[in-house]
Amino acid sequence: MIVKVADFFTFLNRCFSEGVGKFDEIILPVKSSKENNNLHFASIKKGARFDFETVQLDTYRTIDPVKVLYYLSREKVLPAHYPPKRRLIIGVKSCDLRALEILDKAMINNEFVDQAYKHWRDNAIIISTDCLSITNTCHCTLTGGKPYSESGFDINLSKSFYNYHLTVGSQKGEELVEFMKKSITIEDDKPDILKNVANQRQEVIELLNKQNEEYFRSEDYSGLINSKLSKWETYSRECVGCGGCTNICPTCYCLILNDETKSEQFVKVRSYDSCQLNGYARVAGGGTPRPKMAERFRNRYMCKFSYMKSNFNTIGCTGCGRCTDVCPAKIDFRRTVSYLDK
Amino acid sequence: MHNPYEVIPGKIYDIIQESPLIRTLRINLEKPISFKTGQFIELSIPGIGEGPFTPSSSHYISETMDVTIMKTGFVTEYVHKAKVGDRVGIRGPFGSRYPLEKFECKDLLILGGGCGLAPLRSLFLTLLHDVEKYKSITFLAGAKTPQDCIYKDEVTNWRKYDNVKFLRAVDVVPDGEKWDEEVGVVTVLLKKAKINTAKNPAVVCGPPIMMKYGTMDLLKMGYKEENLYLSMEKKMYCGFGQCRHCVMGKYYACKDGPVFTYDQIKNEEAIWD
Ligand SMILES: Cc1cc2nc3c(=O)[nH]c(=O)nc-3n(C[C@H](O)[C@H](O)[C@H](O)COP(=O)(O)OP(=O)(O)OC[C@H]3O[C@@H](n4cnc5c(N)ncnc54)[C@H](O)[C@@H]3O)c2cc1C
Ligand code: SF4
Ligand code: SF4
Repeated sequence: MIVKVADFFTFLNRCFSEGVGKFDEIILPVKSSKENNNLHFASIKKGARFDFETVQLDTYRTIDPVKVLYYLSREKVLPAHYPPKRRLIIGVKSCDLRALEILDKAMINNEFVDQAYKHWRDNAIIISTDCLSITNTCHCTLTGGKPYSESGFDINLSKSFYNYHLTVGSQKGEELVEFMKKSITIEDDKPDILKNVANQRQEVIELLNKQNEEYFRSEDYSGLINSKLSKWETYSRECVGCGGCTNICPTCYCLILNDETKSEQFVKVRSYDSCQLNGYARVAGGGTPRPKMAERFRNRYMCKFSYMKSNFNTIGCTGCGRCTDVCPAKIDFRRTVSYLDK
Repeated sequence: MHNPYEVIPGKIYDIIQESPLIRTLRINLEKPISFKTGQFIELSIPGIGEGPFTPSSSHYISETMDVTIMKTGFVTEYVHKAKVGDRVGIRGPFGSRYPLEKFECKDLLILGGGCGLAPLRSLFLTLLHDVEKYKSITFLAGAKTPQDCIYKDEVTNWRKYDNVKFLRAVDVVPDGEKWDEEVGVVTVLLKKAKINTAKNPAVVCGPPIMMKYGTMDLLKMGYKEENLYLSMEKKMYCGFGQCRHCVMGKYYACKDGPVFTYDQIKNEEAIWD
């Protein structure tokens, strides 16, 4: 299906100003400042006025992973009461949707369900968008991904000049499209638009391939997985163990649980933890399986390329590049992977 | 939908000060908790925190629970300040159990030290429930000094069974303390116990150093890797495979363990630390 970009924004505008669609919150990527090209997710509440000039749906991923909208940095897990809140999340990129697939396996499975996560998942509609440009750390294609989504969305939008090519990915998406049709025009697909979308997608893949040419990696990461600790020591020398990389990673979800009980009702709160921190695996008496920074550094890579592969049948890196951007020691994740895997 | 973080409240009805650093809380539960021996729970002190502990009572009892806890840090300090009548919370049970069916008709060895005796007491009391099913049970228990020995009041009872041997060793006997059993690290009892290792199971739980050397000794004696059951202690928060703190390679100590065979985990990194 085809919808005009201007029409789509008209629809969004009505969602805000007239409460159309009954969304309590609309979340989309906006430019963080005039000085740089970073994007972050901004939340727009019902009735608020909004400057669409800063919105960037079709470029590259945001700085904050979509994880922060589903797996909050701090969340009460007992008692598990969450506000009924319908959210429309727009501009989610393919790397983040793949990360949500991993989090889904980690949080909603046969053994347990994290109720907060499930609540936010159930009450949001995702409109994903193709990447038409990339950041200089993006490397989704090295991890088996593509700069556009083929599943995991309710609706996907691929921009082609003044139009969006719209793909429906779920029942929820289908219903939203029917609803949109009441106020804006949605047309059938046109061959020239489809062709242009396919061409653009290929161009972005080529951009990624060119950018990441030098970052070799094997199919099964066996070189990395079998690397001796001395090699890890060399590549982790600069790491200060701040844990920035794990906090920003869309697939990291290690948590610490606190008891915040004040009265009769027990209260448990979870928040992010990081395997890069010294105390992470420390047990009573002071013992820890990974006392050296190099061991903790290795743990993150092993978790992504070996442990998560065993646990979830998919590697835990979607190639978003955020960990490289955030690192105060300027450690390039891609480069480290390729050095270690050789 | 079941909330995995749900807490079952309980009230302490008795406290047994086992040794200067170890006490057993006896807890009345608001709702029964059925567990299988070897599994663990998360015990909360309201407003302070929680930690993983193993019930030390038999798994045939579900309305009450004994938990034996050593004072080692922040949360356990509050456990040791708790009084009869205080409220605690329990989550769980979590993790794997001891495979009792594999112990039937066998000569079973149980080797433990320090607070590692907590899960072993649960196992032992559970086995005693139908003791005739097992060919023999040899329980070897270690402690630092005579006054660090726990479950003192129960020893006489435990020695009443024909097919049960309960032996103890202490590392040292300080001046002025009385002791007429073995002196030395717990593994010295292995020589004394005259054990038949072939095809028989052994269960080990204790401080990391004891687990490591105990396991090595048992392997040397001829125990098979797949017949050695270890209870692994790793850092844990959630108890069911979410927080990832206890990950040992592809395993989670909380849901794939805490009871593992040595064979399962021998190639994982840093299992003893
Ligand atoms: C499966 C299993 C079974 C166990 N069974 C027993 C048993 O039967 N008996 C027994 O005595 N011990 C048992 N233990 C060990 C027991 O869990 C620890 O001794 C206990 O958790 C120590 O807690 P602590 O806070 O007193 O120690 P600390 O050394 O203060 O803390 C231990 C860890 O918890 C963290 N921590 C401390 N306070 C907080 C807080 N408020 N919030 C978040 N994190 C915090 C610390 O950073 C540290 O990593 C078992 C452990 C496991 C894994
Ligand atoms: S962000 Fe960089 S310095 Fe910080 S822990 Fe990660 S790799 Fe180390
Ligand atoms: S490891 Fe780095 S590049 Fe991979 S998904 Fe996490 S933040 Fe993105």
